[in-house]
Amino acid sequence: MTREMLITTLRHHLGSRYVLHRREELMLYEYDGSAMDQAMPDVVVVPGSTAEVAAAVATATRLGFPIIARGAGTGLAGSTVAERGGMVISLARLNQILQIDPQAATAVVQPGVVNTDLSRAAAAYGLHFAPDPSSQRSCTIGGNAGSNAGGPHCLKYGVTSNHVLAITLVLSDGQVVRVGSAVSDTPGYDLLAAVVGSEGTLGIITELTVRLTRNAEDVRTFLAIFDDMEVAGACVSAIIADGIIPAALEMIEGEGIAAIESWAHAGYPPDARAVLLIEIDGLREDIADEARRIARVCTASGCRELRTASDAAQRERLWAGRKGALAACARIAPHYHILDGTVPRSRLPEILRRSAEIAAHYDLKVVNIFHAGDGNIHPLLLFDLRVPGTRERAMAAGAEILRSCVEVGGTISGEHGIGIEKRAFMPWIYSVEDQSAFADLRNVFDPAGVMNPGKLLPSPTSHSSLHATEPLLRMTGRGAWI
Amino acid sequence: MTPFLLYNQQPTQIVAPTSAEAVADVLRDASAQGLAVIPWGGGTRQGMGGPPLRYDLALDMRGLAAVLAYTPDDLVLRVGAGATLGHIQDLLAAHNQWLPWNPPLPDQATIGGLLASGATGSLRMGYGTPRDWTLAMQVALGDGRLVKSGAPVVKNVAGYDTHKLHIGALGTLGVITEVTFKVAPRPAHCQTLLAAFSSPLTILEAMQQIGQPPFQPISLVLLNHSASKANPILHSFLDDTSPHLIMAVRFAGTAGAVGRQIRTAVAVCVEQGAHTIELSETDDGSIWHAIADDLRPTDQLLIRVGAPLSHVREMLRLVESIPYQRGWPTDRYLIAGAGLAYLRWPVVALPDLLQALTELRAGLAGIGGYAVVEDLPVALANTDSPLDLWGPPPETLALMRSLRKVWDPAEILNPGRYLV
Repeated sequence: MTREMLITTLRHHLGSRYVLHRREELMLYEYDGSAMDQAMPDVVVVPGSTAEVAAAVATATRLGFPIIARGAGTGLAGSTVAERGGMVISLARLNQILQIDPQAATAVVQPGVVNTDLSRAAAAYGLHFAPDPSSQRSCTIGGNAGSNAGGPHCLKYGVTSNHVLAITLVLSDGQVVRVGSAVSDTPGYDLLAAVVGSEGTLGIITELTVRLTRNAEDVRTFLAIFDDMEVAGACVSAIIADGIIPAALEMIEGEGIAAIESWAHAGYPPDARAVLLIEIDGLREDIADEARRIARVCTASGCRELRTASDAAQRERLWAGRKGALAACARIAPHYHILDGTVPRSRLPEILRRSAEIAAHYDLKVVNIFHAGDGNIHPLLLFDLRVPGTRERAMAAGAEILRSCVEVGGTISGEHGIGIEKRAFMPWIYSVEDQSAFADLRNVFDPAGVMNPGKLLPSPTSHSSLHATEPLLRMTGRGAWI
Repeated sequence: MTPFLLYNQQPTQIVAPTSAEAVADVLRDASAQGLAVIPWGGGTRQGMGGPPLRYDLALDMRGLAAVLAYTPDDLVLRVGAGATLGHIQDLLAAHNQWLPWNPPLPDQATIGGLLASGATGSLRMGYGTPRDWTLAMQVALGDGRLVKSGAPVVKNVAGYDTHKLHIGALGTLGVITEVTFKVAPRPAHCQTLLAAFSSPLTILEAMQQIGQPPFQPISLVLLNHSASKANPILHSFLDDTSPHLIMAVRFAGTAGAVGRQIRTAVAVCVEQGAHTIELSETDDGSIWHAIADDLRPTDQLLIRVGAPLSHVREMLRLVESIPYQRGWPTDRYLIAGAGLAYLRWPVVALPDLLQALTELRAGLAGIGGYAVVEDLPVALANTDSPLDLWGPPPETLALMRSLRKVWDPAEILNPGRYLV
């Protein structure tokens, strides 16, 4: 009855075309990028303006339905899955780039703009949007802000929160507020910092002013090839310790190298145990100097071979391997569970060894494809779910690896978010009091408790239902990215 | 001078805890008893926010000054909030690293106080603000809960970034007890170009060009004649007494990249009619220490003005014309790349200052800008019609008030000193 009332009222505000409620329509919105976390929303709305978002939010709140914002649905932590039903707001129609100011190097965009589309539009002015998650051809700027997305080039340029200046936010009561400012240091609390990365739990972003980054004068990309994973891990630390902050510093290890090579033909030697993809950018004299130092450090670290991409085409080929890595791993095993921990860079060799040991203990394959320069690891556990007991082993191994990240001074998520997937692990890093301060913030923005309820923070209910509702395992090769 | 004296008000208690737990205990007790608490670091920025409504307890944070963790290879530093920035920079310098953050008086100012008061510096052009370098914090909330957020690694999305809420909040949500920073390798070389121009139009054109590729300045500051004369290093740069404007621009990197930018920047300055140009020695640190310290508290009124980058010229016209019409001598500084200007106004009759500030804010409102009082001298405080230090509140004021209400429910932290 209430659901019918919700649908009727939403149709009144948005028009029936943009209120989806039939089962076959809703099925498309059951998933996020993690493919196997699924739940059916009660309704999906596709608003065409901030006013329509506000009307839809006010309606759902009044009728007590959970509200879940959704961009392209490429998230990997279940943040956009409607596990308690409710109203999913797809921001796909709000997909306009409203303004690019080349002088100030800023852009005003709607949340549904696809990440690479913004960089493509800004290229005419020698600018780009720096956050570059591997899903960047699909994922949206609004989703990037909601999840505080990372990407390979965040090593030098910072994550999404460093690039969002202001947003328009719809609060749970339908009120529309401007948070943050393109003007520096405006007085008042930095509420924007809390909203970016809040996974839709504080409000719905309907417009963003973002910082654009000037394209570098010179770029150079290297492929460093290693016969030993731990030696490669130590080399990452040695590069940073030498005072170089590369634009990106990525590692692929183990069986992933051969799988990627046979899939993407990126030129990775299939017999290598680990490869580093190193990119530096900046002024040409600085790049020449850094290139010499990287060659020296890699050689001293025991690198088997260092290749340099000499032109844009070669560079793109090296990157194609990295960005398509997850799909390539379908060749190794049909199912996967991807992790997202961060450790201090100096602990990388240790955590790589530890995750290999844990995977071996649980009789699983593990491939690491990750942002090594940030210490942000993505162990990819690979297996075949048709083998009985695999699911349990994979979940136990995943939890144990993340636990190891925390034990060496790291954290449970570097860029994918907490969502449904990792909320039960939050007590490993945050005390009851820490979590109470987070809950206070959330209540201030959403006193009705309707904005993406149950996500991000553990609660007695979410914890007890964890295993029943959260099959954390995914099909490989289904268009997910890391 | 009486310690912890604030606008002629004295605390009834002075507490100097040496642990975060002890800070939390102090706040819990103060909340229970309704005692107003003023957190103190080095006191260099206590002129922000003006006199408190109540002042019972001075909380001296300098006892929490320990370096808790520093692994140079990880470029991460965890430190007690009572450490001075200068101390931290010395420690980092020994490993050829730095925190690219240069607010005034670093040897006196503490990390916690600088963050709480939102202090930045000219390096923000090249490196962003401390918000970008702060990875985690431990904070004692007003009600005595000791909480942390963030993680001691360079990339983390677990939990809300609540630590950033305390940056610039003037200690009204909690007292920062510990901070984890990302730090950076020091650039191999830095060099500074000083150029004097007679015309505001040409210096702005030069600034515009030097702010664009291929230039990558890490700092670019414009000073007016009076400001440059007040600077102990720059005052001898020009003997000429005719009015002029000074540009100081700093480049960092390899000698080759710095040299090319310097040469090209000299050409731009010459083309724009700069009448005097000087290059620094290889160590230009003292110039920038002096420029940072220009913004220390004095007995004059210090105002911070911000505007969109696309309206910097209009902002400069306003900050120049309003005191000029009144015949006031003013020191003016523009932090390029941030759209921020700092102005020093003389202490004149309060109604005149009130009117000038109102006029400035009205003009700035027209271009989307704002003005706040960065440092209020004692002579202008404790009056019947005080200056509005913060200007019109943001539209999210209700949310901010609700947040303060849950973290500092007894309203004991810096009461009456912030806009929330």
